[in-house]
Formats: sequence, structure tokens, C-alpha cells
Amino acid sequence: MFRSPGGSKPLDPFTAEIVREGLLAIAEEMFASLGRTSKSPIIYEVLDYACALTTARAELIGQANGVTGFLGTLTYAVQDILDKFGDDMAPGDIFATNDPYGGGGSHLSDVSMVMPIFVDGHLVAFAVNKAHWSEIGGKDAGSWTTDATEIYQEGLQLPGVRLFRQGRPEQGILDIIAANVRTPDMTLGDLHAQAACLRLAGVRMQELCAKYGIDTVHQAIEQLLNHGEQLARQGLARLPKGVFEAEDFIDDDGLGHEPRPVRVRVTITDDEFIADFTGTAPQSRGPVNCSRVALMSGVRAIFLALTNPNVPANEGCFRPLRVICPDGTVLTAQRPAPVSTHWEARLFSTEIVWKALAPAVPERLTAGHYLSVCAEVVVSTRPETGELAILVEPNAGGWGAGFDKDGEDGLYCVGDGETYVLPAEVAEASYSVRVNRYAFDIVDAGEGRFRGGRGMVREYVVTSEEGATVTASFGRHRFRPWGVQGGRDGSPNYVQVVRADGREEPPAGKLARAYLAKGDMLRLVTGTGGGWGDPRLRPREKVLADLRAGMITVQAARDVYGLTEEELAGVEEATPGGR
Amino acid sequence: MRVATDIGGTFTDLVYVSPDGRVGLAKSPSTPPHFSQGVLDVIRKAGIDPGQVEGFVHGSTVVINALTERKGARTGLVTTRGFRDVLAIGRANRPDMYNMRFRKQAPFVPRQWRYEVTERIDYRGRVVTPLDEGDVRRVADQIAREGLEAVAVCFLHSYANPAHEQRCAELLRELLPGVAVSASHEITMEWREYERKSTVVLNAYVRPAASRYLERLESELKELGIGRGLEVMKSNGGTTPFAVARKQPIHLVESGPVAGVIGAQAVARRAGVDNIITLDIGGTTAKTSLVEAGQVRITTDYRIERDGRLPGYPIKVPVVDIVEIGAGGGSIARIDEAGAVRIGPKSAGSVPGPACYGRGGTQPTVTDANLLTGRLNPAYFLAGDLRLDPDKAKEAIRPLAERFGLPVEEAALGILRVANASMVNAIKLVSVRRGYDPRDFTLVAFGGGGPLHAAALAQELHIRRVLIPPAPGTFSALGMLATRPVQDFVRTRLLPSADEHMDQVKALFAAMKEEALAFMAASGFDPSRVHLRYLVDMRYRGQEHTVRVPVAAVDRQEMEARFHELHEQAYTFRLDSPVELVNFHVSAVCQETPVDVEALAPAFSGDGSPKGRRNVLFEGTGWVSCPVYERANLVPDRAVEGPAIIEEPTSTAVVHPGQRARVDELGNILVETGV
Repeated sequence: MFRSPGGSKPLDPFTAEIVREGLLAIAEEMFASLGRTSKSPIIYEVLDYACALTTARAELIGQANGVTGFLGTLTYAVQDILDKFGDDMAPGDIFATNDPYGGGGSHLSDVSMVMPIFVDGHLVAFAVNKAHWSEIGGKDAGSWTTDATEIYQEGLQLPGVRLFRQGRPEQGILDIIAANVRTPDMTLGDLHAQAACLRLAGVRMQELCAKYGIDTVHQAIEQLLNHGEQLARQGLARLPKGVFEAEDFIDDDGLGHEPRPVRVRVTITDDEFIADFTGTAPQSRGPVNCSRVALMSGVRAIFLALTNPNVPANEGCFRPLRVICPDGTVLTAQRPAPVSTHWEARLFSTEIVWKALAPAVPERLTAGHYLSVCAEVVVSTRPETGELAILVEPNAGGWGAGFDKDGEDGLYCVGDGETYVLPAEVAEASYSVRVNRYAFDIVDAGEGRFRGGRGMVREYVVTSEEGATVTASFGRHRFRPWGVQGGRDGSPNYVQVVRADGREEPPAGKLARAYLAKGDMLRLVTGTGGGWGDPRLRPREKVLADLRAGMITVQAARDVYGLTEEELAGVEEATPGGR
Repeated sequence: MRVATDIGGTFTDLVYVSPDGRVGLAKSPSTPPHFSQGVLDVIRKAGIDPGQVEGFVHGSTVVINALTERKGARTGLVTTRGFRDVLAIGRANRPDMYNMRFRKQAPFVPRQWRYEVTERIDYRGRVVTPLDEGDVRRVADQIAREGLEAVAVCFLHSYANPAHEQRCAELLRELLPGVAVSASHEITMEWREYERKSTVVLNAYVRPAASRYLERLESELKELGIGRGLEVMKSNGGTTPFAVARKQPIHLVESGPVAGVIGAQAVARRAGVDNIITLDIGGTTAKTSLVEAGQVRITTDYRIERDGRLPGYPIKVPVVDIVEIGAGGGSIARIDEAGAVRIGPKSAGSVPGPACYGRGGTQPTVTDANLLTGRLNPAYFLAGDLRLDPDKAKEAIRPLAERFGLPVEEAALGILRVANASMVNAIKLVSVRRGYDPRDFTLVAFGGGGPLHAAALAQELHIRRVLIPPAPGTFSALGMLATRPVQDFVRTRLLPSADEHMDQVKALFAAMKEEALAFMAASGFDPSRVHLRYLVDMRYRGQEHTVRVPVAAVDRQEMEARFHELHEQAYTFRLDSPVELVNFHVSAVCQETPVDVEALAPAFSGDGSPKGRRNVLFEGTGWVSCPVYERANLVPDRAVEGPAIIEEPTSTAVVHPGQRARVDELGNILVETGV
């Protein structure tokens, strides 16, 4: 039987389960509440936020997130607040941090808010959430950019500050925020939505403790964490043991410097999973760095994928994981290195482990995918009203093939998750753009016995008289999604400007504040994923079906898959026209 | 007389109210795949006089079956050039976030049958590029060559201006006789291209099958002499004539569970209760819904085949808002690999069924736990048709009990506690999480398992009263008798809430009113009996999610005041930000007199004495000897003190210690939980 540390009476397994469900329901209710009350599309459409409960010692109890990128980072925000304020916390206090090198963990746009929960005067837990604010100030609208050289250019820093004191706003701080962001109404709206979400969690936690008693709740939490650890250890036991290595490259640092190598050496033993990133490039001048907290989150995501993908994560799930990396690398950047496109580094920390293990763990992993968040900021005006409008969105792309399946077409990258593409109809009504095309991008890449999934092409034509300014970061522009066991590599991500007169500018991986006049077009293209196995082994009928559906070109069918002219002739007639 | 028939997986139920107010029930096996046969069988079995049937409401699973079994038509899609992949992209989300081998759900129309034509309309409804009719003709040729049976048409911004869709559909109908053509604006006028496209594609996909089924049923009914007032149950809680359903069958998708909610609402209203939470527990799931002030909650955020790991397929038609969880009588209890107790969502279903059914099931289920704790009578399950075997239930639960060092019965009680906790969480989803306090509601319990669990759930949620209607085990068909024809109209039009836009709002509502009345008239209803409700989805500017606000009069101040109020109720705060109007709804209800549920009241002839006693295990009190009553033997308004068991042929009600139950004149059991 389970026993609490205090030696009080053992908790029966049914009560443990009921309280566990109650705790997870709180995180989910927080998530639903914030999504419904937020004012920014990046939160309510893209679900770029996460909510969690932690113990009074900042251990993760349960988390509901829209994106994998926030997995396990919320606890660091709580830890920072706990370290800084200690006993100086009272019921009704709410704190904020976005310090990337500390508890914030990603970039300044991601603001974590933390509320201590007291029951009968005792600190029993923390409620925490983290959301991407569309605007946090800085040198460029939308706050993230590809050519910053210092954090100071990337926005307003909130290094663990008290926003509400015993329920009352610290008006001075809110005024500073309002004065430093370009969309104060939206930003403060999100701040209040985050605060409301935390208060809701507080009420629910108090209800739970009132019903079952603080002691029982503590015991249930303890069991919950142990349960997570057991599942992780069982998952670890199923993995192959040994040393696995991989190397890959971040395109550049946004300022034209050389590719940045990322290296990992994974050691799997009976009771530990060690990811050692020694040998990874030093931090960059440009903003393709991430901090140690982001690295932790990136590795936690793939560790969970390998050991325990089906169960809600808690602190216990990560106990067998150890991450080694010296300070000052592109994955462990130090102040004041810029970090606003941190995902270009963080996602490599996830995928490099994946790449090292894919051939050895095919039942969990596929070939390489388009990887980058592939995000852009389009600064324009709202149609009709002429107000400033900032479109920020990640783009979906192609996933790698598995040992027994084709890759998925048009799916969000590993750093995103329950993320929704912005509908063309909503984009056109909200921003001064017209969507010209939104379709799979059919290129000759990613062929294999199982083929890589297709990336996307999305084209925006600028419709406002004043034009629009575009910043974009599409990593994996030079180093393509990798194939496995003879499967071909996928295709690169890129952005391209097509002028109103039809002149096409060269494809690029990054754009900083490019000006597009009315009628100019922004073309956003994401990569096809890597293939798995020799393309010549792909069954004929599958190649023919792909051809009929227009998912591969005639050239690939002939040259890569080896279809004869005879076989090809029968198909072309069946290819639908009207296109 | 009015007749309702409901096709279920095993049985087809029939309920009728005869002109003299008598209620009749009949049951006959369902007859897949030719379900209409089962309907005719049950009509014959009920022995009703076809000539007297004035209203015939039918609930069918034909639509949901065609979808889940992928037995719909070879369907094509015609869409705006540049956008044929939207159907396959979906919203590109990965709900199963840590599964790196995630598989998207395949679209219902494969890529080679998704055709593009040149045309473009902008978000304000202005034509940017006229429809290229040559393209449409070329596409029609290809559709003919491919031998498709159904086509969906969906163009960008058709919610703002459907002209291109109308013209394209018109051309296709002309060029492709025999092919069922559905255009998106005919089904939904809400924005978001993927969701609208998915909706119209699914409509097209099921249309030939649904149409054939309804035509066949109609002609067979007519042969029997039943030809008047043929209506089908819809997901919005209303009904629609067969003729309309044949064109828009997607409206039938969720009709079964919805009938129960409508029935509960009618029964509750007759008992003088306007605020209810429904609880419908069947073999595999528990369903719950909230009705406030007599109004069911309608959502258009419905998806089929969605769960925590799959995004599902959106269907943007009005559906009664029901939360469903995988905790029913057949749900299986297990210990996970790290030693924690879990219940469901896996279910033993009806085959093999719970272990105690003795049909080969060996895993412990909620029904087994109800049996071992004394709640169920092994000799009186399904009116005694199925004898339950307590030894088999014990065998099934024993491994779990031994693992925790508990007696088998204690483990059974534990299973019930965990199952109840997840049902409580589901009820919180429809109430607390939407800003309602369950204490302001009555819990209406039905389905075979509802009355077994309701009193415990109510107590946990501090709900004072539980209402168990007559014949809770066959309540869906009964609910259909209480329905009325309802048609909903929705349009998206993004407008700031400002005085200068109120004329536009008035004009829009006027146009929608005209459309609604014309539609109801064309469907054969007397316009003078059609009642219209107006609603607007409103939000703070910059927000995405909206709050649905009933509109008594188009008055900006009044609408905004109501909006702030409802927003605060749902989300705990209000803002000073400007307000926007997003979707406009008109709901047309035909005020036919639905059946007076008073007719359902049984004739009371018993003496109110218990028929026996048995021991029942309760949390907190342990085993207690309880009187067992036969429901039909109860006397109105005489109290039954808990703990007690009230049995009837298709269900069993549990009254807990400290609670008190009685039957009212209408035959409802009312349990006062004493909280």
C-alpha cells in the first residue's frame, strides 16, 4: 500500500485515482478558460500557451498544453518566483516572468504568470500559465525578429515581477507594459485572461482540498509523481541500450554567419537516459539561440515521445532523464544573447536526439520532418479600420515516413501540437491580405519505399495601400529533412517574395522587415519530409495511386520509383484536369 | 395519434400516445442493414391503427452509420482554385502531441476527386473574379467520367455571398442529373473554409444513402396507410419533414442522444422544473447536457470521431450540446502498468458484455460492480430476460481486489466511486465550466444506468433533487414524442456593435426571417404557428470565442448589457473593450402541440409496500439492509426513506442513506438528496 511521508493513514487506490483526475481536470479547465478568453489569435487559434499546477516545491503535477514546446518549462518559472520571493508571497499575489535565461525559458514574447495557492494559510501549490503575447515591444512589431543582436532589441523584460498584490493590480507595472507594447489592448487583455485562469485554478484547488483534506491531496500528488516515474522507467526498459550519436546544422544565425553544428551523444542505460550536447556550436550573435530551460524542454519532449507518449506528463516522468551541455552554446545561451527565434535551436535539440535514435527505435520515430516552426510576422493594417494589425502564425509542413507508413502531409512540427492553421477566411477578414493559394507543395523529394509527407505552399497577396512588412524565420532551409535506410531527403523550407509585376526574388530561409507593396505576394513554402527505405521497393500500385492523385510528379515516378513509360501512359489520362 | 420510432443497435422502439391519452410502448429487433423493416415490424407489433396516425417522428442512425462505417457515396468536391487540399490539411493540428508516428484521419474525398474552378469572392462578399462556367462544365465531364454519385460545392467566403456556389450547383445539377449536389451555404453560413467544406462533404457523402433509406421508408409507411406528418429527428433537438432531411441529411447525425435531452426537458417542464442537467447512462458511455430556463444549449462546434488523440471531422450544424464520456455499464476497470486504477473508455459492450452476463466476458465492468454491491437484482435485469451471475462478476473483480488487498465487494465499490468521479467531472464540464452552478439544477436521469448512479452524483455535486422519468430505459423514443419541428438559420457577418450598424442588423434579421418563414411554409407548416427566436454570437473585439446572446429587440445597449452579463457568467470577467457581432441566428419553431407528457403517468394501483429487502454496500455506512420496491407499486407522494432500491423492468434506482424519494402524480421518481 501507499503511505504518505508523514505516516498518516494509507490512501486507498480509488481515492488516489479520483484526486488525480481532479488535479488533471484543474489543468484542463485552466487551459479551456484561457483559450476562450484570450484576445490574440496566436493564443485562441494557434493555442500557443500552456497551463499547469505544480507542488509547493515547483514540481509539475499536471499540465495542459497546446504546444510541445512548453512541456516542462512552466516549473522553471515557478522555481524562479519561489527563489526570488520565498516567503514574501500572499494569497491573491500573481507574478510574471519572461526572462529567457531563467524561468521564462523561451523568448520575451512568452510570458509566464505564477500564482501561489494557499489553503488554510499554507502554501499548497502553484498555478502557472505561459502564453505567447503577440506584442511585447522591442525594435520590430511582433517583437521577434531574425536579425537582433541583443536581448534588449527583442522587447520588454519582466524578470519575475509582482503583477497583483493580494488581488489588486500593481498599476505601475501594468502601465509600464501598456506603454512598451504596440497593442496594449490585446496584450493587457491577455494578461487579465491569464490572471483569471490562475484564480480559477486557485478556487478549484481549494475546493479539492476542502473535500478530501490537504493531507489526502498531498498523498495523491506524491503517488501521481511516483506513478509518472514508474511509467518512464518502464518505457526506458523497452528502449535499446547503448550509445547513439548524431550531428546536424542550424542554417545560419540570421546575420549571414556560417551554419551552426548541433551534436548529441545519447547514452541509454538500464536506469538513465543521458543526452550530452557537448560539441555543439557556441552561442550566435543572431537570435537562433535558446537557453538551457528551452533545451530541457526540447529534450523532455522527445524523451516523453520515446518512453511514455500516452499519459499526462508530470515531474516524475522526467526523473530518469539527464541532460549535459556546457554553458554558452547555441542551446545554452547566456545574457545578453538574442533568443527571439529560439525555436531554430530548441527544435534541433529535440530532433537531433530523434535522428540519433530513429533507426534503432522505428516503432516510435519516423524519418526527419520539416522541423522549423516556419513562422512569419506580417505587419499591416486591419481592413476597414486601418488600425495596426499583426499576423503571426506558424506553418504546417511535411513529416517523415516511418518504417511502415508514408509521412503525414501538412501537419504542425514537433514544437507545436494542438495548433490550428489560420483559416484563409479569417486571415482575409482580419488582415489586409488575400490568400492566393493554400495547397500541398509537390516537389521531387522525400521519395522512399514509404515516402515523406508533403509540405505546404501558402501565398499572401498584400491588399492594403500602405503595403506590409514581413519578418520570417524558416529554418531547415539549407539542411533538408533527413531520410532513413535509403529513403531520400526531403525538401527545404523557404519564403519568397513575388513582386506585383511577376518578378520572383530568390527563396530565403529568413526575412527581416521586408517591405511588400500592394499587389506583392509572399510565398511561404514548407518542406516535404524524409523518405524511409529504397524508393525502388515501393509497390507499383502505390506509386500509381500517388500519380493519379497528383501527389508525385511523372518525373519522380519514372526516374526515382522506376515506372516504365508504358505504366506511365495509362495514368496520365486518368489525371483530373480542371486544375 | 402521434407515434415515435427510434432505431437502436439492438432494438427498434416505438412509443405512441393514442387519442384517448393512452401511452403504448413496443419493441422489436432492429434489422440491419434494412432498418426500415424493423420499423414496420414494430408498428405491426404495437397494433396501432395506421389511419389514426397524424404525426410520425422517426429517429434513425442511418447517417452516423454511413459515416462511421464509411459506407457513403463516391463523392467529389468542387472548390475555389488553389484550395483543393484544404480538406486534407484540415487545421493541421496534432492532438496526440508526443506521438511522433501520428496519423491524420483520411479525408472523405480523395485528392483526385477534389476539383478546382476559377472564381473568387472576398470576405465582404464582393466578387473579385467571376465564376468561370467553362471550368464548371469541364469538371462536370470529369465527375461523369469518374462515375461519382454525389458532389459537394464549397467556395471561399460563400457565407458572405453564395452567388457563385448557387450558380455552380445549378450548373452541376443541370449537367449531372442523378448526381446529388450539395452546396455549403445550403447547410451552413458560418465562416472558416475547412469546417464548412467538411460539413458539406459529409452531407454529400451520406446523401444518397439517407435519401434512399427515407424514400423507401416513406413509401412503405404509405403502403401501410401512414402518410401524414412524417418527420425525422434532428441533432438540434427539433424535427424536420422527410423531404427536407433527404437533402440535408447531415442534420440527423446526432439525433439519437438528443431525443433524450428533449424528452427530459419536456418531462421536467411538466413537473414545474426549468433548469435541468440530464444524465443518460448506457452500455458504453454516459452523456450529459444542461438545459437552462427551458432552453437546450445548441453548439455548432461538433465533430465526429474526435477524441483526445484525433482531431475528428467538423460538422457545423446546430447540435444539442452534449458531453459524452467513456463510462457506461460495460466500461472496463483495470490496473495500468504502473499500478493505478483506470475505468474505460474500453467497454465490454453488449457482446460479450459485462462478466455477470455470462456471455464470455471476463473483465470487470461497472455493471459487475453494481451487482456485487447489491444495487442490481440478478433475477430482475431487463425484466428478468437476462439472469446475472454474481460468481462471474466476483471472478472478474477478484484480481483487482487482490492486488490492493481488499475484499471483492470493497473493490467493486471502489470501481463505482471512480466511475462516479468521472461522471461528476463530465457534469462539471457542462455546468461549472460554463459558469453554471449545479446546485441551481435538477438532475434528470435516464438510460438503463442513469437511475443507478444519479443520486450519488447529485449528492457529490450538491444537487438537491433527482428526477427519474417513467420508463427511463426506453426514454429516447419517448423524448421524440415531445419534439417539435425546428429549423435553424445562421449567418456570419462581422460587425462592430455600434448604433450605426443596427439598421444593418435589422435588415439581416428581416431577410433571415423571410427565409425562415418561406422555408417553414415550403416544408408544409402553417406560418402563423411558426415562432422565431433571434440570437447573436457576440465577443469583445480581438477575441475569437463568442457568447450566444438571445435578442428580444435589436437594441445595441440592451444586447451589449446582456452580452456583458453572459460573458461574465461564462468567463468570470467583463471588459471595457468594444464589442463585435459575429454570427446571427434565427431559430424557427413550429408551435405544434407536442404530446402532453401527463399521458405518460401510469395508473397507480399499488399499495406502496416493499416487495422485499436486500443488503447494499454504501460508501461510509458499509452494508445496509434496504427495502426493495417495485416502481409500479409505489403510491404518489408517499415518502420512501433511503437507503432503498426501486426496481422496474428496464432500470433500477438507488436511494442512498439520508436521502428520500417519492413518486409524483406524473409517475416521476423524485429523490431529495438532503444536501
